[in-house]
Parts: sequence; C-alpha cells; structure tokens
Amino acid sequence: MNNRHVGSTHGAHEGGHARRFPRADTLTSRLTVAAVAGILGVLAVGQLHAQTGAPALEGLSATDLTQLIANLTTGNDQLRAEVTDLSDQQGHLQDAHDRGETTVDQLTADLARIRAWAGLTPVTGQGIAIVVRGRIGGDGVEDLLNELRNAGAEAISVDGIRIVTGVVVAGSPGALSVENDAIGDSFEIHAIGSPQILTGTLTRTGGVIAQIGATYPDAELTVTPADQLTLPATDRSLLPSHGRPQL
Amino acid sequence: MSALVAHFRGLPSVQVTLSIALLVLGFLIAAQVTGEKPRTQYSTQERAPLIQTALDLQAQQEALKARILDLRKKIGDLEAQDPTAADSLRQLYADLEDARLAAGLIAISGPGLAFRLEDGTPGAGVDALVSAQDVRVLVQELWLAGAEGIAVNGERISATSAVIDIGGSILVNSAYLAPPYQISAVGPPDLYDRLRSSIAFVDFVHGRIDRAGISLSVAEDASVDLPAFAGTVNLRYAAPAPSGTP
Repeated sequence: MNNRHVGSTHGAHEGGHARRFPRADTLTSRLTVAAVAGILGVLAVGQLHAQTGAPALEGLSATDLTQLIANLTTGNDQLRAEVTDLSDQQGHLQDAHDRGETTVDQLTADLARIRAWAGLTPVTGQGIAIVVRGRIGGDGVEDLLNELRNAGAEAISVDGIRIVTGVVVAGSPGALSVENDAIGDSFEIHAIGSPQILTGTLTRTGGVIAQIGATYPDAELTVTPADQLTLPATDRSLLPSHGRPQL
Repeated sequence: MSALVAHFRGLPSVQVTLSIALLVLGFLIAAQVTGEKPRTQYSTQERAPLIQTALDLQAQQEALKARILDLRKKIGDLEAQDPTAADSLRQLYADLEDARLAAGLIAISGPGLAFRLEDGTPGAGVDALVSAQDVRVLVQELWLAGAEGIAVNGERISATSAVIDIGGSILVNSAYLAPPYQISAVGPPDLYDRLRSSIAFVDFVHGRIDRAGISLSVAEDASVDLPAFAGTVNLRYAAPAPSGTP
C-alpha cells in the first residue's frame, strides 16, 4: 500500500504516466482529508461522551439536579451503612471460621433482620397511621404507598395486610382489593419509619395527599404519627417457583 | 469482478480515503443529531458543578452497590464452607439462603418478559414522555399477572423500592435511570397471556401508551436474568416483633 502510494506520487512529480496529480490538487485533497478527519475526531469524541457519560443529566434543571443529589446522598449514606454491617458480618464469620467456631447468634439475628425486611415476619416500631375514608381508586392508594417508600418507610400494611413484593392494591373506587380481599371505603394504612419524615412528605403542599385530593375529591385522608405500630407478616410465599438462583 | 477491482485500483487513494471519511462523517453527524438531544435543554452556568457532583455520587453509588453484592457473596460462600456444621446450623444456613432468595437479595433467572418503554413524539396536549407513573403501572400489572421478580433497567424491585420522577427521568432504589426503560420480569410461562387478559393493562396500553404515542415493545424469553437487590436491608425504625405476634 505504502509502496504504491509513494510510487504514484513520485511518478506524477516526474510528469509521468497514468496518474497525474498536480501538486496543488494533492495539497487541497490532503487538507480536505485532514479537515474531515479533524471533524470526525471531534464528532467521535462527542458521540463517545454521549454514550458513556450521563447525557440525560443535561436535560435536568438545577432544581432537579439538586433533588437528584439529595436522593443520591441519602441513598449512598444508607449503602455505606450496609457495607459497614456486611463487612463486620463477614469479619466475624471469617474469624469464627478460622477458629473452627460457629456464630449462631449472629446468623440468627441476620436471618431475623432479612425476614423482617422482606415482610416474612411481623415487625414493630414507630411510624404513621393513615385513615382513608371515601372513594379512592387503587392507583391513588399505590401512589400513596410509593411516596411512603420514597420517604423511607421500612414496612407497610393496608387494611391489616402486609405490603410486600407482588402485593398490589387494585381496583376502581368502591371496588378496591388487596391480595383478593375486598377493602371497604374506610380503611387504614400503617407505615413504620420516621413519623416526622413520613408525615412531612405526605402532607407537604402539592404532595401526594394533595394530588389524591384533586383526583379523588370524595376521599379524605388523615395522617397521625404513632409511637408504636405492629404490622403482620405476609401470608404469601415469596420464594420463586419459576425463577432459579443464578450460579 | 476483476474490472471492478481494476477500476478501484485506478482511483487515487486520496479520493478513496476522502469518500470513506465523508461516509463515516455522515453517519456520525446523523448519530450525533439523533442521539445527543436531551428531552429538555437548560443552559444556566450553575448546573455544571451540580452535574459533576451528581456524576460523582452516581459513581460512588455504583461502587457501593458492587461492594455490597461482593460482600453478600463472600458471606454466602463462608457459610457454605462450614463442613463441620451441625444439622441445626445447616438448617440455619438454608433458612438464610431462602430468606435472601425471597427478599430478592439473590439474582435469579427464569421464563419471563422484557418490556421496553420509549418516549413518543411530543404531540399537542399529550405527554409523550415515559413517566414514573407509566413504569409503576407496568410493574403493578406484572405483579398482578403473577411475576415473581421484576427489575427496571437493572434495578431489582424490592419491598421498599420507590419509582419517582426526576426531571424527565426516573429514580428507582435511588438510582438515576434514563429512558428507554427496560422492565424485565420472571414468572410463569403464561405471564404474557395473563397480562393481556387484564382489563387494567389493556386500558393502560390503549388509554395511555397508544394515545401518547409511547413505544412499548415486549419480548418473551425462556430465560430472563434479574440482578440481586443491591440496596440496604437495614432496619432503623422497624424491629422483628416478639414471637406470638400475628
């Protein structure tokens, strides 16, 4: 390839044979190629940035970014606490393993914690009780539950039924149901978490309760902080029947 | 064929190079124009440090989640490596494994569906951007149809997962997710048939998806992979209730 290229230009310079490129044209062509290559480089880098960076962040306003940063900061703090706990747990297990001992107490506590978090056992703690009266649709209740989770609720029940993965409050106003149990027009939602944060999040101006009020004007929601609530365990099996653990 | 080769050999190499370069340039310009356009554009100067802070926090989040998954795996391995364990302890290990599986702390594979939700073209009076509400409705319908596990763009939905709007994108498990959204679900082999027989799902497709011009596609797969939930399972306010509590 190189040989042919050198040969042809050399021939042209000598006023030679089939391929004759006046020097000016060659220079123009080379400059054009260089310019195109330059633009290509810029575009390629731009494309790379667009795909590997976070282009969607460009579409967020300063307010959205501030909210995102607050969420990420809170979430990362929780993740750090989880890392610390798991590191301790691993250290204890490793020490016990090295000494040929067992750590039944720690394993039992870990099991209790996971089962409580998943909804497999009853839990108790402070939180809020929401009394719902009047006609409301399942979408409104689900919006409320989503906001409770977003505000850090650790466990939720609706009309005495624990909300776990797979459980949905569904139906039109007047025909609500959860886990195949009908819910009347008056029921309670219990959530364990920080009473101040949960209450503040739900009742803020323009918050989810205000939005539900706009969509379902007949519904009346009353939020009350509670020092101690006890939420039941779920009745459903959460073990997958069709899914298998990845090896 | 040989004539064609001879013809190309007759072309000056500069022309060939230029032609190829222009072709690639065309592709790149097209990709740039179609791919880099944010849903909304802002131009204020104070956003640059905020974007950088958000990117740094996202990177920290990814690292922390990877660390959590790694530690959970190591703990599971240590438990499994206890050859001297008594039967009662082996039962405890098995119970722990079951609890983690039930809680979504273990990645699973199985038959299921993979949905893809993409923004439509904005039209008069219709919000064609996929919202957190759209994702939540689809997730709820999948649960009601019998899904055993769901993930949104690789974020496993757990008992404490919230899906909320942030700007034109969404947050799931505090992770910032940009469209298009892939909602994967593992469940019974007839999961899609069950879903299609749901009046609420049909209403969602006709009343929201079709009307807004949002793109919703689905693929049935014999083996859908769902990642483990990589968030915290720490309870700060809740405690296991004393035994005997209903």
